[in-house]
Amino acid sequence: MSAALAVEGLSAGYGGDPVLTGVSFAAEAGSTVCVLGPNGGGKTTLFRALLGQLPHTEGDIRLQGHPAHVAQAAHARLDFPVSALDVALMGSLAGRWWLPARRSDRERARAAVERVGLAGLEHTPYGALSGGQRQRVLIARALVQDAQVLLLDEPLAGVDPASAETITALFADLRAEGRTLLVSSHDVEGARAFDSVLCLNRGQVAFGPPAEVLDARVLEATYGHELIVIPAGEGGRPVRAVAVQHHEH
Amino acid sequence: MGLAALPDPLYLLELRSTRLAVAELLLLAVAGGVLGAYVVLRRLAFYTHAVGTATFPGVVLAEAASFSPRLAALAVAGAYATGVERAGRSGRDPGGAATGLMLVLALATGTILASDVFQSGAGVDRLLFGSAIALSDADVAVAAAAAVIALASALLLGRAWSAVAFDPEGAPALGVPGRRADLALLLVVGATAVAALPAVGSLLVTSLFVVPAAVARLLTRSVPGLVAASVGVAAAQGLLGLYGALWLDVPPGPAIAVLGAAVYVLTAATTALAPAGSLRGVAA
Amino acid sequence: MIDFLTGPLESGIDRRALLEVVLLGLLCGPLSFWVRSFRLAYPSESLAHGLLPGLVLASLAGAPLIVGAAGGVAVAAVAVAIASRDRRIGSDTATAVVVSGAFGLGGLLALRPDAPARLEELLFGDPLGVSAADLAAAGALALAGGAALAVLHRPLTAVAFDAGGAGALGLRPGRVRLALLLVLATAVAVAVQGLGSLLVLAVLVAPAMAVGDRVRSPGRAMAAGAAVAVGAGVVGLYSSFHLGGAAGASVALALCAAAAGGAALGRLRRPAAPPPRAA
Repeated sequence: MSAALAVEGLSAGYGGDPVLTGVSFAAEAGSTVCVLGPNGGGKTTLFRALLGQLPHTEGDIRLQGHPAHVAQAAHARLDFPVSALDVALMGSLAGRWWLPARRSDRERARAAVERVGLAGLEHTPYGALSGGQRQRVLIARALVQDAQVLLLDEPLAGVDPASAETITALFADLRAEGRTLLVSSHDVEGARAFDSVLCLNRGQVAFGPPAEVLDARVLEATYGHELIVIPAGEGGRPVRAVAVQHHEH
Repeated sequence: MGLAALPDPLYLLELRSTRLAVAELLLLAVAGGVLGAYVVLRRLAFYTHAVGTATFPGVVLAEAASFSPRLAALAVAGAYATGVERAGRSGRDPGGAATGLMLVLALATGTILASDVFQSGAGVDRLLFGSAIALSDADVAVAAAAAVIALASALLLGRAWSAVAFDPEGAPALGVPGRRADLALLLVVGATAVAALPAVGSLLVTSLFVVPAAVARLLTRSVPGLVAASVGVAAAQGLLGLYGALWLDVPPGPAIAVLGAAVYVLTAATTALAPAGSLRGVAA
Repeated sequence: MIDFLTGPLESGIDRRALLEVVLLGLLCGPLSFWVRSFRLAYPSESLAHGLLPGLVLASLAGAPLIVGAAGGVAVAAVAVAIASRDRRIGSDTATAVVVSGAFGLGGLLALRPDAPARLEELLFGDPLGVSAADLAAAGALALAGGAALAVLHRPLTAVAFDAGGAGALGLRPGRVRLALLLVLATAVAVAVQGLGSLLVLAVLVAPAMAVGDRVRSPGRAMAAGAAVAVGAGVVGLYSSFHLGGAAGASVALALCAAAAGGAALGRLRRPAAPPPRAA
């Protein structure tokens, strides 16, 4: 299988010095990558560069198609009069924004809303949904975009357990379909379930399968003092680590 | 419109009406210049415009009821200042829609009332654009009071105002009661703006209270410098504007406003090439 | 009773005024929803005030007001944009400088002893002074504005909902916003004849305030806004006809009343805190 996403020597910034340097990794179709790193470490910058929103200073990005982005649910407006279905339907805007939505677009949006487990809530106003449900609606929107590569920004942050389960099951489905998922996260332990892990701290610290990458040295280089590391125990218990989460207000 | 020969500047001091105008504009330059500095620092330009505009229906009503227009204007300004301070705390009007609508209400009410009060539109023009050549001794006395209030409050509260402008959230930690300082500034600006109404009218209060300070802001590096330059620019602008208005036979209020804007444009264009930099200790 | 209703329909002047006000309402009522969603009340106000010199020049030259309004709005937009870029000053102060200069210039040109005294109508509106040609121009621009809103409907919805995420959907939020500003400038130029430079903000802001947050979709909000704007316009004109107040100001007052009524109704239905804002 060829790589769905390949990045080579990427350096990116917002004007001035690059805030992220030396990123090189590749992901095959149908694989999942967990992107770990402290706030300000470059996870958002990487996503923006992959979306083409930053004129990246150096390096090579090769992607299958245009990626879909699932933002944190907290960033969208809660008081804007759109229903869950309306939001999902926004996924069909690309390339035909000046035309009204087609029936096929509506069908796909309805199917996506069902797929994330919100059948029956299509017409509920977005602001009336719970945090986990809102996150799922944003995922449905990305599904309607039918992108091969999906970038998800801390999709499980602050989400109730039922929604989290649905979302994680959905990831497995999407993998099976051959889509590639990049999921940024603060959950170091959860990263072990992914095919690969990319550790960023203003630059690439490590990339590879979790078993290889998630050792104490890499974690400390990634998180510095923001990490609580429980050393490897007897009987082969691996190093465990918990990252300190910072919530933006 | 033929251009008359340039009149002798001293002519400004010969007629009683122009002497009064000169005195008024100089005193308003002090009030507007001093307070304008803090208005610009604290980003209260829109408020200053709004408080002037809001007094319009109050003054129309007062003239209809033979009540003191000055007191009516003062009452409206005070009420508006308090209202703004309260609404500002709750943050309930993002985008300014409610405030804008309130001003529309004030202007619409004022003009409908005015058609009953004034025989011609001239009355409304006077209230909106001022009548600097038709001032009374009382107007100049009020302007003097405004200048004194401005100087006194700046002496007492200027440091607090600077601190709040620099860091509104951090001010209480320094022991500065941010809310009260803000309310004081709003009230003082509102009250002194009332003094400017006879000279420049409801719509042009910012020409003396904001524009000179904006020009000065482009030229200075410290708060005291800003205050001093602001007064200087306001005085020059007022006097030159008056002089030009007499020469070209146009209303003085609008002339002062146009001159101020033109000076700002020139200053912004020339200093953009060699910026004065940020104020020491105050955020740009 | 019949006389009450048909009175304003009898003369050509009043009929044209009614038509003008209906046109305004149909364009600006729906637009009001986007003005609210994108927080464009201040920019609308500065455009409306900044175009005054253009209006005065057109009036002095005997040209159609809509030409002066269009020119004035273009100059005002550029002036505010340039002035706001200066980081030392901030857009609040910069806008005040531009508006002060514009008011001053308008007053200067209009208040000279030898100038025709039409300043009142330019400031407060003159629906009764609308000619058939003015109506035709307003109608054409309103149609263009309406068509633009229709085409931009989905992008506006997506960007208003989540500007940060709209880029990933294939949209350019900056361009969408710019297109909206162009429609806004057109609407201001059209509406200023009926309501005047000082009052035109009412028709761009009051309808959405009257409708409030009780709508389920942007489309419905826009339709409700149109209904409020047209209704208030008609009520205003009728009250002006029967009670004798200035026509433009009466329409503005009716719009304010509608906004106040809508806000009060909203408070009754939901006495708790304002709608939740995402962190």
